[in-house]
Amino acid sequence: MSSRYRPLIPYLILAGSLIFVAVFAEFLTPYDPYAQNLENALNAPNEKNLLGTDRYGRDVLSRVIIGSQTTIFSALLLLLTISIFGSFIGAVCGFKGGKLDIFLMRLSDVFLAFPQMVFAIAAAGALGGGLFNAAAALAVIGWPKYARISRGLVLTIREMPYMNAAKMAGTSSAGILFHHVFPNIAGPVLVTAALDIGTIIMELAGLSFLGLGAMPPTAEWGAMMNNGRSMLQTASWVILAPGTAIFITVAVFNLLGDKLRDVLDVRGKKS
Amino acid sequence: MKKKFLAVLLSAGILFSGCGGDNKKTEDKTAFTYGTMAYGVAMENVGTNPHESYSGWSTLRYGIGETLFKFNEKMQLESWIAENFEQVDEFTVKIKIKDNVVFSNGKKVDGLAVKKCLDDLIKNHDRAPKDLKISSIEADGQFVTIKSSEKVPALLNYLSDPYGCIIDVDEGVKDKIVIGTGPYKAVKVTDTQIDLVKNENYWGEVKPKLEKIVVKSITDGDTLTMAMQNGELDAVQGLPYSSLKLFENEKYKISQSDTSRIYQAAFNFKTPELQDLNVRKAISMAIDKENFTKVLLNGNGTPAVGPFPANLSFGDNEVHAVNFDLEGAKNLLTESGWKDSDGDGYVDKNGKNLELKYLTYTSRQELPLLAESAQASLKKIGIKLNVNATDNYKTFLKSGDYDIFSKAIVTAPTGDPEYYFTSHIVSGAVDNAGFYDSAEISQLENELHNTFGAENRSALAIKMSQKILDDCALFYASHLKMSFVMKNNVEGFTAHPSDYYEIRPELEKK
Repeated sequence: MSSRYRPLIPYLILAGSLIFVAVFAEFLTPYDPYAQNLENALNAPNEKNLLGTDRYGRDVLSRVIIGSQTTIFSALLLLLTISIFGSFIGAVCGFKGGKLDIFLMRLSDVFLAFPQMVFAIAAAGALGGGLFNAAAALAVIGWPKYARISRGLVLTIREMPYMNAAKMAGTSSAGILFHHVFPNIAGPVLVTAALDIGTIIMELAGLSFLGLGAMPPTAEWGAMMNNGRSMLQTASWVILAPGTAIFITVAVFNLLGDKLRDVLDVRGKKS
Repeated sequence: MKKKFLAVLLSAGILFSGCGGDNKKTEDKTAFTYGTMAYGVAMENVGTNPHESYSGWSTLRYGIGETLFKFNEKMQLESWIAENFEQVDEFTVKIKIKDNVVFSNGKKVDGLAVKKCLDDLIKNHDRAPKDLKISSIEADGQFVTIKSSEKVPALLNYLSDPYGCIIDVDEGVKDKIVIGTGPYKAVKVTDTQIDLVKNENYWGEVKPKLEKIVVKSITDGDTLTMAMQNGELDAVQGLPYSSLKLFENEKYKISQSDTSRIYQAAFNFKTPELQDLNVRKAISMAIDKENFTKVLLNGNGTPAVGPFPANLSFGDNEVHAVNFDLEGAKNLLTESGWKDSDGDGYVDKNGKNLELKYLTYTSRQELPLLAESAQASLKKIGIKLNVNATDNYKTFLKSGDYDIFSKAIVTAPTGDPEYYFTSHIVSGAVDNAGFYDSAEISQLENELHNTFGAENRSALAIKMSQKILDDCALFYASHLKMSFVMKNNVEGFTAHPSDYYEIRPELEKK
């Protein structure tokens, strides 16, 4: 690895360990995160329950750990879906142009005109809640950003000599897209996606906090915070633990995205 | 990096600047601000016209109106606007109105005024005519004689329901304001707030002591808690149980009372799995009422046996239900052929897991807690409960898309048991969400309907409650205790088992 990538290492380690926790959550939880024991309800953090217990007597630490799975995985999966789908649409529009381009871009304009969270709340509300529906609502509003970025990039590389060379060599449209277009737009899309992880986690947790995402008893950080909302003054650990988890995760992924942008110097290259 | 640090610092500054602040203003001893969870469009009680839906609760609660009779702590009738009554025959009752009662506009309340009010009630209200079954009302001086078309043994109880508030119908309803006989009169009524002023003409012995009262609807528990904490409110009703702890100190007072509000869940008899008594019994046995009440309600209630609280003569002391027993519940399921044959943790029969849909709503904050604790308990005996806690529950009720429906309800709002049975239990009742249909219940209800005398009625009510429990048609989790929290200088503000006497002339600030 060249020295250029060195600044990334600490953030990759941090993000990596978060993902490690999420992947192996089942083996890391000290207790069953769903086992209720009302006799042990609302115990303050102690040596048995490091982060205390919630109002049903469930171990908060176990729930935060298992909640990382729900929160991080659904955010990553959602991001993967919208970035691939969005960039594909954008690349095709930029490459093909014409009526299809006009139609899809106006459609994306419509979606971009809505405030993201407001639209997501409305859509998740109409769909009736649930983590899948919340993710679907965010996906519907999230793809145009990627479509816009990749379309812009494709427009700049469309007239490059190597593109013309590929065309003259008789490569099919699909071939050009996969061999020449996608590899060239991957960098900036990746950086946008990395910067987006934090936002998506926040939005998913936000929808759950509003009762429109994960349904009880699913351990999800936003939903856990909502459950503990009325206990902020009396049993603050119930809400602080998942809140801190969201804070750390979002901060780590945002810093990683920032560094990634610096290292790849996406903006600099384009200007 | 420096910029980021600055940003964090700044946002922390903004966050903390919201806290603190000095709230010590010179306090007006004649003005009272009351925050409540119980007023609002969702509760169907906005406005003060008792002849409209549940608005009578607001008329009575906030001291605007009064009824002919009122309930004491044991939910027995006492005189109020009426002085006494005489049961002429099984269809006729003659009520004498007190001589000194006047409306807040100064007009005397006589037999004719009461007749006009009751006529208007029967003409306009949705529930009253079905309860009262009045065929004619005659007024003569301070007397009213009410004839009913069939025997209504609980007539006086029904007349003491909040819809029975006596108002001056000649004045009509202006901007949701009516003229009543209570210690305060409304001057401004909106969907979220009621402004009251002293009724200078109040007839009672104790005269109202405050000049001005503002009743504010605050339906978010945290907002309500914080408004009380920072001194914006003098008293509150409906705080989340978890917040009550914050007010257990010398700065505040708490007044509590057992009510007949119950958390219950009805089994849907249209669900094939639930037609089996063993399954219903097993579920009832798996509900840990003790801990639900002690832990999740923070002790603000009493574990329930049947539908009525123990302070009533036909209440929990007289009936018995299955006990909490997970092993016994498992055995019952096995007996009915439900076994975990595929080892997934849930019992199954003919390759199908025992999976049930549990419908409830969130506007009563304890209901989702009950749902989640039931979900965990039932998992222990191998039943999968899918909780649907939504305030859109009426749609699901209509479509029949539920196996268990859990709700909170006041079972004896008028101290008489019949209302609960006719509204929730007998076959075809509007709120019989489980479609429970028992010939014995119908026959007993018929008997109850024709029986006079509190003792005889109690005996029948006990039989009916016991039948419901034997059939495991519903399970009853807990009777709610209601609480008022007030500043320690507030006097004369006490919780009542009826849940609808709140602002009384005794209320004052020292």
